[in-house]
Amino acid sequence: MRPQDHPEVIDSLAAEYVLGTLRGQARRRFEKWRADTPLVAERCQFWEDNLMRLAKGLRPVRPPPHVWQGIRARLNLARRDQKRPGRPWAIAATLLLVVGLSALLYWRSIEPGKMTAIATIATPAGAELWEVDVYRGSLVMHTEQVPAHAADRDFELWALPAGGKPVSLGVMPAAGTAQRKLTEAQRLALASSAQLAITVEQLGGSPNGQPTTTPIYVAPLRSKVS
Amino acid sequence: MDTETQLDEQLQSLLHRCAAADAAALERLYELASPLLFAALTRILRRRSLAEEALQDVFVSIWQRAGQFQASRGRAMAWMLSIARYRAIDLLRHERSAPLLVPDLPDRGASDDDKDESSSWMPTAGLLERCLGLLNDQQRNCLELAYVGGNSHEDISRLTGNPLGTVKSWIRRGLQSLRKCLEA
Repeated sequence: MRPQDHPEVIDSLAAEYVLGTLRGQARRRFEKWRADTPLVAERCQFWEDNLMRLAKGLRPVRPPPHVWQGIRARLNLARRDQKRPGRPWAIAATLLLVVGLSALLYWRSIEPGKMTAIATIATPAGAELWEVDVYRGSLVMHTEQVPAHAADRDFELWALPAGGKPVSLGVMPAAGTAQRKLTEAQRLALASSAQLAITVEQLGGSPNGQPTTTPIYVAPLRSKVS
Repeated sequence: MDTETQLDEQLQSLLHRCAAADAAALERLYELASPLLFAALTRILRRRSLAEEALQDVFVSIWQRAGQFQASRGRAMAWMLSIARYRAIDLLRHERSAPLLVPDLPDRGASDDDKDESSSWMPTAGLLERCLGLLNDQQRNCLELAYVGGNSHEDISRLTGNPLGTVKSWIRRGLQSLRKCLEA
């Protein structure tokens, strides 16, 4: 028997495919069939549209911010809509521009003991420069726009642990999104930090692991990380 | 025009813009659709971290396949929910996890403004609801366990304590009843 000669067979397979009970090799074969056969695709569409009602009891759950940042990174969207940084300016001018940066940093706990933070670094006028996302041991830095700066300088992010020296969290990306795993030292520093800071450093960051310039911005944290 | 139609037209418009590589449209689409898709993925995959990875896969697919969406042939949310559910089912295969019948995972990520969003995306009650109402309790329960929970025939047999053949029969007959009713 050829299934294509029996519309009811096609329909049954389509229904079980959409429902999710068609599994394994049968599912793989059906997917190929659906891709090649408009009638099969049409029956799948019928069931997709109708069975959706079964999901009415699902309560929407907003995903954590790093998921969207990951999507942007994977699709290279940050680069796609990235505005070109302005021409390099003198550091003095840069400092004048970025002094007074305002940031919003708030902490949320998704799982007990898991550290989660989001920082939006913006100009006094409200233009977002970077968003920093600390989530489950990773640091994601997304660039909205980079302030004008000298070509031989980078912006570096610091955790300021209580009673300790600043701990570098690395240089901010010049464009797009950068993600890196936090080291144990960085994680511990963040856990006891009440503030974050940004300094202007040589390319690649401070050569000695400590800020070489006065922070151009210090952001207070609203709550401590547990 | 009812709210549901307006929402779906908005999603359709965003999908068309995604097909033209409009990144802002994808961001808006994500804001609107990700809470329901994430709930569906979390429910099937049971592990939040896995659901987060799957949600990324889903939106990468939506972006890449937006040009294939045909508004005339289906609802935008149904199209996206299908991409999400199929991805989750694929991952189940790789993860060899065993979905269980448990209540919704704690949705601590939900905010107040999320409430009632799911019902706005759902096709309006009416013919569909009436057809689902024709199913007996076992049929409907099996369909929900499969569709929402991502459970296989074997899972449902184990969860409900009914023989595998009985479960398959309930599902088959339930789907047949639905088709007859919807196409009558």
